[in-house]
Amino acid sequence: MRKNSLVLLSVNHPKTVVFLSMLLAMVFLTQFPKMTTDTNPKNMLPATSAVRVGNDAVEKTFGLYEDMIVLGISNDQGVVNPATLTKIKRITEAILQIHGVAARDVASFTTIDNVTMEDGALRVAPLMTMVPEEEAGLAKLRQALAENPLLINRIISQDGKTTAIYIPLEKGANGKEVADRIREIISHEAGADSFQSPLVSDGERYSIAGDPVARDTFGAEMFKLMGMFAPMAGMIMFAVAFFMFRSLFLSMAIMAPAMIIIICSMGLIIGMGYPVHIMSSMSPVFLMAIATDSIHIFNEFYFRFHERGDRKAAILDTMQAIGKPLIYTDITTAAGFASLMLANIIPVKVFGFGVAFGTMLLLLLSFTLVPALLTFIRVENIERITANEDIRTSKSACFLMRLSRIGGFWPRATLLVGGFLVAFAIVGISRIHVNNNMVEWFKAGSEIRMADRVLNQALGGTSLAYVVASAEEDDFMKNPDAMRYLEGLQRHLETLPMVGKTFSVVDYVKRINLVLHDNDPKFDVVPETKEMIGQYLFLFAMSAKPSDLDNVVDYPFRQANIWVQMKTWDAQAMRQVIVAMDEYSKAHPMSIELKTAGIAYFNLVWNNEVLGDMVKGFLAALVMVFVILVINFRSVKWALVSYVPLLFTILLLYGVIGFMGKDFDMPISVLSCLSLGMAVDFAIHFVGRFRLRRAEAKGSEPLADSLDWTAARPGKGIMRNALLFAASFSVMLFAPLTPYITVGAFIVSMMMLSALMTIVYLPAIITLMQGWLLQGE
Amino acid sequence: MKRLVLLIMLLAIYLASSALAASPDEIIQKSQTAFFYPGKDFKARVMMKLISPNGQERVRELTMLRLNTGEAGGEQKYFMYFFQPAEVKNMTFMVVKFPERDDDRWLFVPAINMVRRIAMQDKQASFVGSDFTYEDVSGRDLGDDSHELVKEESLNGKECFVIKSTPKADSANYGYKLSWIDKTTFLPMKEEYYDRSGATIRVFTADEVQEVKGFPTITKRTMKNLQSGHRTEVYYSSQDYNIGLDDSLFSERFLKQPPKKWIE
Repeated sequence: MRKNSLVLLSVNHPKTVVFLSMLLAMVFLTQFPKMTTDTNPKNMLPATSAVRVGNDAVEKTFGLYEDMIVLGISNDQGVVNPATLTKIKRITEAILQIHGVAARDVASFTTIDNVTMEDGALRVAPLMTMVPEEEAGLAKLRQALAENPLLINRIISQDGKTTAIYIPLEKGANGKEVADRIREIISHEAGADSFQSPLVSDGERYSIAGDPVARDTFGAEMFKLMGMFAPMAGMIMFAVAFFMFRSLFLSMAIMAPAMIIIICSMGLIIGMGYPVHIMSSMSPVFLMAIATDSIHIFNEFYFRFHERGDRKAAILDTMQAIGKPLIYTDITTAAGFASLMLANIIPVKVFGFGVAFGTMLLLLLSFTLVPALLTFIRVENIERITANEDIRTSKSACFLMRLSRIGGFWPRATLLVGGFLVAFAIVGISRIHVNNNMVEWFKAGSEIRMADRVLNQALGGTSLAYVVASAEEDDFMKNPDAMRYLEGLQRHLETLPMVGKTFSVVDYVKRINLVLHDNDPKFDVVPETKEMIGQYLFLFAMSAKPSDLDNVVDYPFRQANIWVQMKTWDAQAMRQVIVAMDEYSKAHPMSIELKTAGIAYFNLVWNNEVLGDMVKGFLAALVMVFVILVINFRSVKWALVSYVPLLFTILLLYGVIGFMGKDFDMPISVLSCLSLGMAVDFAIHFVGRFRLRRAEAKGSEPLADSLDWTAARPGKGIMRNALLFAASFSVMLFAPLTPYITVGAFIVSMMMLSALMTIVYLPAIITLMQGWLLQGE
Repeated sequence: MKRLVLLIMLLAIYLASSALAASPDEIIQKSQTAFFYPGKDFKARVMMKLISPNGQERVRELTMLRLNTGEAGGEQKYFMYFFQPAEVKNMTFMVVKFPERDDDRWLFVPAINMVRRIAMQDKQASFVGSDFTYEDVSGRDLGDDSHELVKEESLNGKECFVIKSTPKADSANYGYKLSWIDKTTFLPMKEEYYDRSGATIRVFTADEVQEVKGFPTITKRTMKNLQSGHRTEVYYSSQDYNIGLDDSLFSERFLKQPPKKWIE
């Protein structure tokens, strides 16, 4: 067989193999300095995708900014007092000077336009130019804030205790630098050494939120994960391996292929010019875990050496026995990851490709580097260590045998319990709730979550979407009917619990109508004629900032833009807005077309995209894995049997997720795909080795004994593999971002569960169905 | 003795040079007179194109009447009658400009037949949504800035003074302005506005100059906002000076019903 000649070649020239492997790693390592990262979720979809093209067009038409930082300032005594107002003024002035801030469109007390009637004169001017020192001036400001619906929930909270400064960034500005400058300004203002949201000083509480801040935090945490957690996972794996095999050299021999495939696959992704994204930042930990597969070689080698005493023969025998399961487990794993390449989401594709490549490289190394390394082991050392590697005397082997006998002795009862578990899992799965919330990727106590909560409680909401109304003719939006349509739509959207505020051109028109008529409440309506509306808008544009109007209507007044602020980043909330919008559109026929845009909409689209991709990938992986199993065992029957622990594991995991009430979000859906390829590994080893054993015994061994042997010997490899895998992944439970924690918890449970299912349920099924499975033996 | 001779020589050189080259303040004053105050009065049909970064246009068309009621640099009255956009036809706008104090502005809203006073705010607020500010249209108080002659150079074949005007205190939302002032007409051929960090934020260019009744007049100008990418082009037509405007025109009555002979 070719694979054997490869092993033979490696065993005969071990030094060359080691040298070539090192060289390979060095070549890929040269790509590392080119590494770039990308934490912008926008790049999850290609620039040509419909939603990005649509969003760009809306941003351009209405002069909107892609990125906005929000600074919240609260004071329990109310922000309208000379001290706080002076701070707001000073902070705003300092922010306007920051390079990269679109100063002309910063919204704060001193920059936002207010429309009022003062001493018989119409006034369109910033809300506050001077800080009022006297009670009269303060009362006037309070009243101005309270009576203008354009300001409430945007620049001031209902209770008057919170204000926000909205800081849009110029295209291409560095969000992190701007946010850092803002932090400096605030800590300077508060007399603090450094800024940590929420910063409390002198009764004021400051918090910074917004997309650029979230992205930067994410980027920093990502690097932390790669730089700290991957090496930590490696160290734990090393320690656990040492504990299992009591040999420093062997532990290092397990780590070597892991390190090489990590370097090569990361190097490949970087070299191909892809930036490191949240997905690919996880690949070192994944690859490390996958590399634990080579433990089956060491496991079997220990047994063989103990039996034969000859190093080289033991290596060759080992590879002969476990070569096939090794090939197929790696192929199924690679297939699981490769199924991600069907995705539309670029970073998911890149991740799938990188890990699949690493897995295939691992397969190559398992037949070359690992046997080569084994030749360096000193004979006396292994003799000593392997002395108790006997399935009759080893404690862990006995434990495994007993475990497998549960299934073997009481197959019906075991399967009945399994049936109940599956029923339970299906109930859980039916409760799974599809949602995604990017802010919740940060931990509950994190700066981002806190700032977001403060702002969402007090103001209209940090999650922003746009509803764009388009008509066919110029000036259509100046029609009173069109205005009333927009107003009705706003009121309809505001009935949704998660929508905190909406505003549109109608709000400006109504405001001017009211103010021109000396605040007579009966003029707080859309004016009756198109001329009035046109003239009011013109009047407004005579003194307001150009962007005030540009943000809400396009140049020819064909399109109007309604700003919808939501109090949650749940994709679900945006879905409800779209449903409400469609309802309204159906109930009120008019020649206006409604579309959505904005960051909240973008998040919804790419979430749907991810979920769709994953369902597609999951089905593809399900079929691929089955086909690979059939090819491996050359038997549909055995393929079905090995499928059982896999399905069982996945059903149970998702059942638990359903009961826990955890959202089926992006990280979980990605996991579903690749879990298929990994959860089946143990069954491949078990069934493969069991059948080999039966074939070698040629019917002379009772079934129960064969099962015992399989559970104790390859079973020990399975257990070692699962433990090592779980140990290295458990590191992720301490990661600072929730998607990593989710991934860690999921994979640890999956490996432990599938190992248990393999050792308990396969004996039960084989015992129960021996007539059908073992016929013709 | 030697010292005294040297001193006298230096003094002579200083006096000679300052007599040859006008001081920056004088240049700016002459420029203001040439730009905002020529003639006794002035009339023009003004076409403004507001052009967004992606090329969308909004149009403002109006007749502008100006009457100097004081000296150059002093009080002025402006009367504007709008033709476009269509729904604001008949809208009129009047500004009485006072140096050293806030302007008075009045607006007639025909749809509700109402004249309203518009409170003065920032003089640097946008003029009818364009990239020009009210100050760009009617001039900035000379005393608000300190002026400095940076260099003299030719711009598009015209010899120019380049004056740097830095606003005193916080009287402006920009850091400073560079003006290229034509040495013969004293009209600004180009102005660049810089923010406090030294980046250019707005650029004014005089694109066409015509002589009308002996007054050099900028008949096409552009203001470009470099930050937003937005720009405004202004074209004058049927411009004329000393047409005999009467002070009585600038009243509420005529705001509501402007005499045809002046606005057409």
